[in-house]
Amino acid sequence: MFNLENLDIFAVFMFFLALFGLITARNAIKSIVFTLVMQTAVIMFWLFLSARTGTIPPIIYDQAILYDITAIADPTPQALMLTAIIIGISVSAIKITMLNYLFRKYSTADWYLLHEMQAEEEAENPYN
Amino acid sequence: MQIIEFLLLTWIILAFILLFERRVYRNIIYFGIFSLITSVCFLMLGSPDVAMAEAAIAVFSTIFFIICIERYYGKKGNKVEFIRAPKRGSWFTNIVLPLVFCIGLFALFITFMPVGDVSTYLKDLYLQYFATDVGGENAVAAILLGYRVYDTLFEALILVIAVVAVAHMSWLDRMAVDDGRHSEIENSSMAVFTVRIISPIILLFGTYLILNGHISAGGGFQGGVAIATFFICRYMIYDIYDISVKKVIKLEEYVFVFIVVIAVFAVFVGSKAFLAYQFEYFADAFNDTYLIIMNILIGLKVACGFFIIFYRYVAIERREDSPIEISQRHQSSEDSHV
Repeated sequence: MFNLENLDIFAVFMFFLALFGLITARNAIKSIVFTLVMQTAVIMFWLFLSARTGTIPPIIYDQAILYDITAIADPTPQALMLTAIIIGISVSAIKITMLNYLFRKYSTADWYLLHEMQAEEEAENPYN
Repeated sequence: MQIIEFLLLTWIILAFILLFERRVYRNIIYFGIFSLITSVCFLMLGSPDVAMAEAAIAVFSTIFFIICIERYYGKKGNKVEFIRAPKRGSWFTNIVLPLVFCIGLFALFITFMPVGDVSTYLKDLYLQYFATDVGGENAVAAILLGYRVYDTLFEALILVIAVVAVAHMSWLDRMAVDDGRHSEIENSSMAVFTVRIISPIILLFGTYLILNGHISAGGGFQGGVAIATFFICRYMIYDIYDISVKKVIKLEEYVFVFIVVIAVFAVFVGSKAFLAYQFEYFADAFNDTYLIIMNILIGLKVACGFFIIFYRYVAIERREDSPIEISQRHQSSEDSHV
């Protein structure tokens, strides 16, 4: 049905599904989860690019593996994506801290209620 | 049907479940399962390093989320739904317009997506020469620590910045609680018993990943996350804050400086290449020593960073005795749906 070359459609589809979820999310927790899903989809797309040339892991414990170099996966996107994953979890830790701040201040994570409350605050003291 | 296709279909189905699930805790648990399936997909695509990192990150993000929202949604969160706010906008603007927007972008991307063969110039170059240039047997570790060491340095810097930002954006100013204070959490004895058996194995596994990062899958990041998991397990068992967080923060800063210094001297100044050229017989030894030292330092740094963030969430963010300003109206609206 599919070749490995065509399967990266799944990753692209997942990215836009997560974008849709991000637009329609009513809750801040769900927004954070969908940003993480989006990041996962991007990483998957890059790894499909890496696997286009082959799916053997790039661990050369024997020089004989290099005779069939077209079957080995590309290590460069993998190294880049390893960096991206660590940066993603660092940023999501910051996001969760900001979510905790929202909880502390407004005791809700619903975007509509948050907008209402912030509008009320601005109406009370507009020069703050 | 190949296994990867089955896994990808499960992936999509889980994403749809995430889209339609309204309960908070289930959302987070489904995201954990989603990440684990993603990790298996990565393994099938021939990248065990990324798969290991993704699995570790799945566990960590789940823990962070649950610690953060436990205080507000209660421990039996399955029964608590999202708060139903008064509805804004029409069905058309809320659902149909975003759907059309996303489908349009998807179609645009599909139309202009490059197909066909990819260039293999860089891949061939790296795979043939990394063993003599950088050393080791794992090409990904060689690229991370040799060819693209700038990326690794800035990534370590971003982890430091994340720790600082988590402390800065927090509601409470305090950096650490007193040592020796009890956490006042009632862990189930079953979980404590299991964790007691598992935690030494986790520590051993993390050490193995770090020390063998240059010759097999794994490396500093994955091993560091595993060691941070060991400290979380330790916290679950002993139930007391006996590690001084200020010292851990100091250790992380010093380790970061060491990483920068060693990378600059070994790679940018060229000491490693010089030594390997002068003592040709020991070239492999110099290469492997550099890789192992960098992996150990990065593992230590990642373990410190994740331990600090976890500790902060557990000990400070979810403290009950801090003042919370809750307006009466929203408190009541939240309670009515419990």
